[in-house]
Amino acid sequence: MIEVDQLSKSYGSTDAIKNVSFTVEPGEILGFLGPNGAGKTTTMRILTGYLPATTGTARVAGKDVHSESMAVRQNIGYLPETPPLYPEMTVEGFLHFVARIKGVSAGDRATKVVSAIERCNLQEKSDVIIRKLSKGFRQRVGIAQAIVHNPPVIVLDEPTVGLDPRQIIEVRNLIKRLAGEHTIILSTHILPEVSATCDRIAIINRGELITTDSPEHLVAKLTGQGYWVELAGNAERNMDILRQIPGVVRVEPVAGEALPEDHARFQVITGMEDLGSAIAAQVVSKGLSLFELKRNRASLEDVFINLTTTESAEVDSRDREVMDAGEIDEAIEEEDAAEMELRAEPIPPELASSEPISSEPISSEAINSEPATTEQPDIKPGTEENQT
Amino acid sequence: MKILFSNLLAIYRRELQSYFNSPLAYVIAAVFWLIGGLFMVTLLLSPDGVIAQSAALDQSGIQQNLDAPYEFLKFYLNLLGSLSMFILPMLSMGLYADERKQGTLELLATSPLTNWIVAVGKLLGVLTFYSAMLLPLLISQAVAFERSEPGFPGGLLLLGYGGLLLLAASVLSLGMFISSLSESTVLAAIMTFGLVLLLWIVEAIANAAGPFGTALSHLSLLSHYTDFTQGVFDTSGLILFLSYITLGIFLTAQSIDTLRFQRA
Repeated sequence: MIEVDQLSKSYGSTDAIKNVSFTVEPGEILGFLGPNGAGKTTTMRILTGYLPATTGTARVAGKDVHSESMAVRQNIGYLPETPPLYPEMTVEGFLHFVARIKGVSAGDRATKVVSAIERCNLQEKSDVIIRKLSKGFRQRVGIAQAIVHNPPVIVLDEPTVGLDPRQIIEVRNLIKRLAGEHTIILSTHILPEVSATCDRIAIINRGELITTDSPEHLVAKLTGQGYWVELAGNAERNMDILRQIPGVVRVEPVAGEALPEDHARFQVITGMEDLGSAIAAQVVSKGLSLFELKRNRASLEDVFINLTTTESAEVDSRDREVMDAGEIDEAIEEEDAAEMELRAEPIPPELASSEPISSEPISSEAINSEPATTEQPDIKPGTEENQT
Repeated sequence: MKILFSNLLAIYRRELQSYFNSPLAYVIAAVFWLIGGLFMVTLLLSPDGVIAQSAALDQSGIQQNLDAPYEFLKFYLNLLGSLSMFILPMLSMGLYADERKQGTLELLATSPLTNWIVAVGKLLGVLTFYSAMLLPLLISQAVAFERSEPGFPGGLLLLGYGGLLLLAASVLSLGMFISSLSESTVLAAIMTFGLVLLLWIVEAIANAAGPFGTALSHLSLLSHYTDFTQGVFDTSGLILFLSYITLGIFLTAQSIDTLRFQRA
């Protein structure tokens, strides 16, 4: 339905996107995931014919977005980042206007507008002036204008931004209902959103497409499945005992955490096998004093941080080659200082003594590559809890 | 063709609706009516007014024919033209600046519409609103002309107001282009007013003698409008107005294209 081939767009000397290629099958929902400024909006604007690409081609429903722009525009519904609304119009009047300029014939217009209003649950607001609507309703009117002409392809740029948790769920359900008869691309920087709605994820960072895959595959791809074990006693001995468990790839002490005296935390990396019961059996049979055993499964967030930060770490190392040896030392020192700060920050003083800091398995690479971590998008781990 | 017309109508109707739903447009109209009405009362009834002059001529017994309705309309149309120069930038300022600010330009640009259709539809919309603003003034003139002697100067009325609409359309068209350059309506209004000042300067130079003045007088919107208000119909004037209108629409369409090509 959508074929994007080697698409690049540059503004002057900066590349907004570089050689992005992907395809979307009919009826599929593709989630476009990336930090702010990664090039999501640019890609979407090219797809909708708003911006021309510098190089490369994009085809929607078999038609080139640039040379057959008018045909593509008729086949596409687009919700930009800020919903394009005329504040002085009523919801119904606005949808009629959009249906008209999208080329819906006069006979079909009324039914299509009513159907869009119903699908977006806007019945009680259809006569209200858009200026008087709340943010959530405006967003829904924005989605309604994208689907009013029943286009085969729908492009939604951050459709749930600024909505409250209940509205987010409603919008997600709406998007899921639309899939099947429509092909949908949606962009977001909120991770749970893609895992909740999308069939496939395209991760984009600094204008480059890093990967496209299903959410399950992406999680499975990430290595480092395993357990966190907190034990008291001789750390060296404990580590040896854990290493003896068949199937264990590696045991690493987890540093930098404020634990009670004599306690230590280890990361037991097990590959794809689930060794929970084996670890428990080993701990019991060797009489270790266990304080915590926790499964450490990569979340989509880990995948995301991993994929987007390795990228920036490479950039860092390239930068570093240019430096003199002395500068490198300095840089490393600075980096260490930054690292200390980063680690110290999340520990509230009252928790520091007793509780282990964070149950979030943030990989240490993510913390190490400091420029990337400060630039990280607002990934909202809280959002998932909010919905439930 | 049918689709083009339907699109044009959609844009036109939406534009018109936004003017009639905008408090600002009514404030502008009210000021226009107030000052327009004051001009008329002053021209007609003040001690130096047309009626007083005509009466004085009658009393002095000089058999000089003063065509009072004609004189009145000529002056009045000129005043109305000058007044419009202040009002028109405020009407055209939001044409594209608002679309840019609201993000609705993105909707228009991703709909199967050409830039030309959007620009023409918008221009027709704002021109219709301006015409609606002229209507109440026409009614008050009709009341005055009903009692006038010699009768009602129909030809001049038609030509004068036709010229006024053409002048307004030219200024609005250029104002629309200026509005498409920025997201700020205030900036658009100020820049359009600057353009109007430029038109006045051109007019002043055109009135001066010399080959340069003559050349400019061919290009001056205002001097051609003055021809219209004096009852002189000139094809070159019509062509000049239409050229300015087309130029404005063309520049607007180009500016929107450029905006999309360069957008960061």
